[in-house]
Amino acid sequence: MLEKLKELESAAKDKIEAANSLEELKEIRVKILGKKGALTGLLRSLGDVDPEERPVIGKKANVLREELEEFFKLREQILRDAEKEGQWEKERIDVTLPGQPEQIGQIHPLNMILNEIREIFVGLGFQVAYGPDIESDFYNFEALNIPAEHPARDMQDSFYITEQFLLRTHTSPVQIRTMKKMAPQLPVRIIAPGKVFRRDDDATHSPMFHQVEGLAVDENISFADLKGTLLLFAREMFGPDQKIRLRPSFFPFTEPSAEVDISCIMCSGEGCRVCSNTGWLEILGCGMVHPRVLEVSGYNPREVTGFAFGMGVERIAMLKYGIGDLRLFFSNDLRFLKQFG
Amino acid sequence: MRVSYEWLSEYIDPVMSAGELAEKFNFTGIEVGSVERFGPELPGVVVGQVKAMEPHPSKKKLTLVDTETGEGVVSIVCGAKNMQVGDKVVVAKPGSELPGGRLIEETLIGGVPSAGMLCSAQELGLDLDGEDEILILDQEAVVGDPAEKALGFDDYILELELTPNRADCLGLIGVAYEISAITGNSVKFPEMTPPENDENINDYISIIVEDQELCPRYTARAVRDVVIGKAPLWMQLRLLKAGIRPINNVVDITNYVMWEFGQPLHAFDLNLIRDNKIVVRRACQDETLVTLDGVERKLTPESLVIVDGKVPVGLAGVMGGEDTEITMLTTQVLIEAANFNPTNIRRTARRYNLPSEASQRFEKGVNPEAAIWSQERTALLIKRFAGGRVLQGIIDVNHLNLEPKIVTISPERINKILGLAIPEKEVEAIMGRLGFEYKVKNSGQVEVTVPLRRADISIEEDLVEEVARLYGYDRIPTTLPGGKLHENRESDEEKLHNLVRAVLTAGGYYECITYSFINPESLALLRIPNDDSRRQVVPVQNPFTDDQSVMRTTLLPGLLRVMKHNLSHRELNQMLFEIGSVYEPKSLPLKELPRERKMASLAVTGLEPEPNWIKESRETDFFTIKGILDSLFARIRIDKVDYVARDVPFLHPTRCAVLEVDGRELGCIGQLHPEIAEELEIGQSVTVCELDLELIAELSELIPRVTAIPRFPAAKRDLALVVSKDISAKQLEDTIREAGGDLVRDVTLFDLYEGKQIPEGKRSLAYSLTFRRDEGTLTDEEVNEALSRVQDALHQIGAVLRS
Repeated sequence: MLEKLKELESAAKDKIEAANSLEELKEIRVKILGKKGALTGLLRSLGDVDPEERPVIGKKANVLREELEEFFKLREQILRDAEKEGQWEKERIDVTLPGQPEQIGQIHPLNMILNEIREIFVGLGFQVAYGPDIESDFYNFEALNIPAEHPARDMQDSFYITEQFLLRTHTSPVQIRTMKKMAPQLPVRIIAPGKVFRRDDDATHSPMFHQVEGLAVDENISFADLKGTLLLFAREMFGPDQKIRLRPSFFPFTEPSAEVDISCIMCSGEGCRVCSNTGWLEILGCGMVHPRVLEVSGYNPREVTGFAFGMGVERIAMLKYGIGDLRLFFSNDLRFLKQFG
Repeated sequence: MRVSYEWLSEYIDPVMSAGELAEKFNFTGIEVGSVERFGPELPGVVVGQVKAMEPHPSKKKLTLVDTETGEGVVSIVCGAKNMQVGDKVVVAKPGSELPGGRLIEETLIGGVPSAGMLCSAQELGLDLDGEDEILILDQEAVVGDPAEKALGFDDYILELELTPNRADCLGLIGVAYEISAITGNSVKFPEMTPPENDENINDYISIIVEDQELCPRYTARAVRDVVIGKAPLWMQLRLLKAGIRPINNVVDITNYVMWEFGQPLHAFDLNLIRDNKIVVRRACQDETLVTLDGVERKLTPESLVIVDGKVPVGLAGVMGGEDTEITMLTTQVLIEAANFNPTNIRRTARRYNLPSEASQRFEKGVNPEAAIWSQERTALLIKRFAGGRVLQGIIDVNHLNLEPKIVTISPERINKILGLAIPEKEVEAIMGRLGFEYKVKNSGQVEVTVPLRRADISIEEDLVEEVARLYGYDRIPTTLPGGKLHENRESDEEKLHNLVRAVLTAGGYYECITYSFINPESLALLRIPNDDSRRQVVPVQNPFTDDQSVMRTTLLPGLLRVMKHNLSHRELNQMLFEIGSVYEPKSLPLKELPRERKMASLAVTGLEPEPNWIKESRETDFFTIKGILDSLFARIRIDKVDYVARDVPFLHPTRCAVLEVDGRELGCIGQLHPEIAEELEIGQSVTVCELDLELIAELSELIPRVTAIPRFPAAKRDLALVVSKDISAKQLEDTIREAGGDLVRDVTLFDLYEGKQIPEGKRSLAYSLTFRRDEGTLTDEEVNEALSRVQDALHQIGAVLRS
């Protein structure tokens, strides 16, 4: 009897190990441990065994049953794992295939820069103001202390609509419009982005371009405030290590006036082609609001002071994005626009 | 204004080098465009002296010139004849190189050795008369010296880019004052007073100024018995440095003095002035004048002229007349130094397109004191370099105030404006260096006397700038404005524009910015009828090209142009938009500002998405744009937009719609009319849309309003219909919603089919309906009841249910 048990054990173990699928394993199990299985049959014939040996053999048979159960489990796990692995392999994808394309467009690079400028100044408490593209001579020139026949009119060649109206040559008229609306309230603190037009068309000039005007009027606005505001702007726009320098200049509507350079963003001031080896790049004009301009706009220049600045958006975009040709902005070539996506 | 460093040094000691001076100028308010050496280096080219001359043994035209070069006498073969023994000349020794790269060697000319070359002005790169002549140097030149030194080639020219307010620096004396303001060194005036003879100028000429407004000062001086010839070489060279071509001694002297004082001068041949009389008046209609450039000018009363007893002899302040110009025959000279009305000169110079050094100065204003200084200086130089006798006296018809201006300032206010704390002493010192008198009054206020040369200074702020620039902008601290603030928020309009940008870019559209002016032809091309308001365009008076000649009334021409440009670069699939103004005049010609309306335009063509391996591409069409508009309107909460099939001149007659909300027109959408596309040479279908952003702003709700999330489940039912093509999708959806009532919460079209399985003239549409009630779960019976109401209603309009 014991021998039979041993035989059964080794035969069963061999079969289990040889099973190649879960199904086969199931069949083997029925054949060995099932109701009509070999081990069950063996136990049934226990009655024929010497009663003294019965408990020993019975115990051994039960141990064997447990052992085989364990064996089945192990094999089943191995077969299950193998099957799953096959399944995974069938489901394999090529992870290097391109993704499903989602075309995302892009706002125009000039509007990207305008948004940045707006954010910087809104953060400094400036409001955003707008004025018309077609302006009267009064707002574009007269009120800005540029009377008819003033040589300063030569600085900007204008597109005229009639004798009285023209395409604005700068965003400065918004200074006047805003102050006239607000006077005598204080403080005035605005930026005015917008299109401007000058009769120039070559590699470095476009007949239409964009400016952002800035204006701050209050009881104690100083030239030092102007410098501080512009330094902060330069650092926000071009990086925390930016330096600025102011050179005296002339605009009829500011006094004193200055032109502002930032340290060259290409070479950090070392000198390169972009900055013509000076280490500096001119980015804007500014100054203290001329008393006549304050007066025309309804403020008393003995009581309030102000600063104003005007910057070219294209210039800043060209520097920031490394754009070499101004005309790209208005050709709207997709090969250009898509680089900002 | 070209400034020779060497010439400038005559009036002040600049202390620093030309380069340092340029740097200093840049930071005190005079922009220096460039600093360049006047001439090239000339190694091996030296000053020589002619010691003896003999004819060439075989070539008749050549001369052998024994020349001292400082290292001994050499023999040089020369083709020119204008030199004499003792003349100082420029010798290019063997091994030297002339401008333009010409190498000089020791050669044999006609069998005779020549140890180098005697140089002409041209060979040295100088624009002077005398083509076949050797350049004769002034006797002061030192034999053996490098020629570049004798010719001033080692001098530096500063190109000043003067702003319109700094007319005072249009003369070297003014520039010297500027250096004085920087360094504190004093300005040295040149020698000025000529010895006069005892003949009175009034016996030779009388001056009558008829128009004082246009000519507030006119001065005249006369010199008799002059000999016209060349000016000394040093003077000619200085004029070349200034960018002025030398002509003859008298004309050169007037230009030279103009460069010194900034006062334009004119010299007349006094013998040719009729009736010994100069009249300054407006020109008569149809008078003519042949100006120095040989052109006959038709005059009008708008221009001021200088007239002798008979006819115009000069266009005042702009250009002299040809028939009284200084020639080799001139023996008597009348010098004019005047002040003219800047505006009038500006207009005249523009009208005749004659911008000159003179008109440029008059336009910007000439120091009223400079006329007399210049007269004195000119007469002195003429006497010295053209001989003659200076007549006694200067005729001076003056209506200008020659009192300097007094500007009252307060040092405290200067500091306040600048954000500084400069001690008053420093302010006073700066004024002192400027040559401005500084007088403290009892009130603490200060009276500053500003000399006439600084006409740009008239108010306290002008002096604030003087203090700031000379104190140094770099020394002004950086602070931020303090004080209270207004509420500060983005305008709704701005928010809307940014939302539109966000939605469109998320949908794959690229933003464009095109010119605000267009070609009016493009409106005709779009078949916009003449009586359409979009044909009422604001014209630009002086455009560059027709393409920029009217202000746009639609953004579409600009976008279509961009589309064409990109198609020509093989970008076949495009989704573009622009947000911008159109310009709507209230009347033409413009009497008031036009209305500037913000519009948004979209244009698509080609496939979307770009062909790829995973997602199917579709030819873009009406529904491409309608889809993004649906998203946009959902985002800004404009519901009930009606797409009304109505003709739009530039759109495909059966593939276009006008967008309306409550009967108000929002814009239009549709396929660009295929015939227009063909005329534009666009070979593929284009769909466009234009929206009125101002109306949209009015209708939109930018802040989301949230309702509670439904507490009870929804039931879904699908519905497939076969219906005549005459019934629009909107009609079907409206019918479903109306019949279903409150319970129908969503109607989604999920399939559309036309074709074989469907009878001719019909189409099949499949809808998914969502039913829900806010309070309580719907039972099957309730849903089915609602559904059957819907089915009945659909049946009524001829829709057949499909199983």
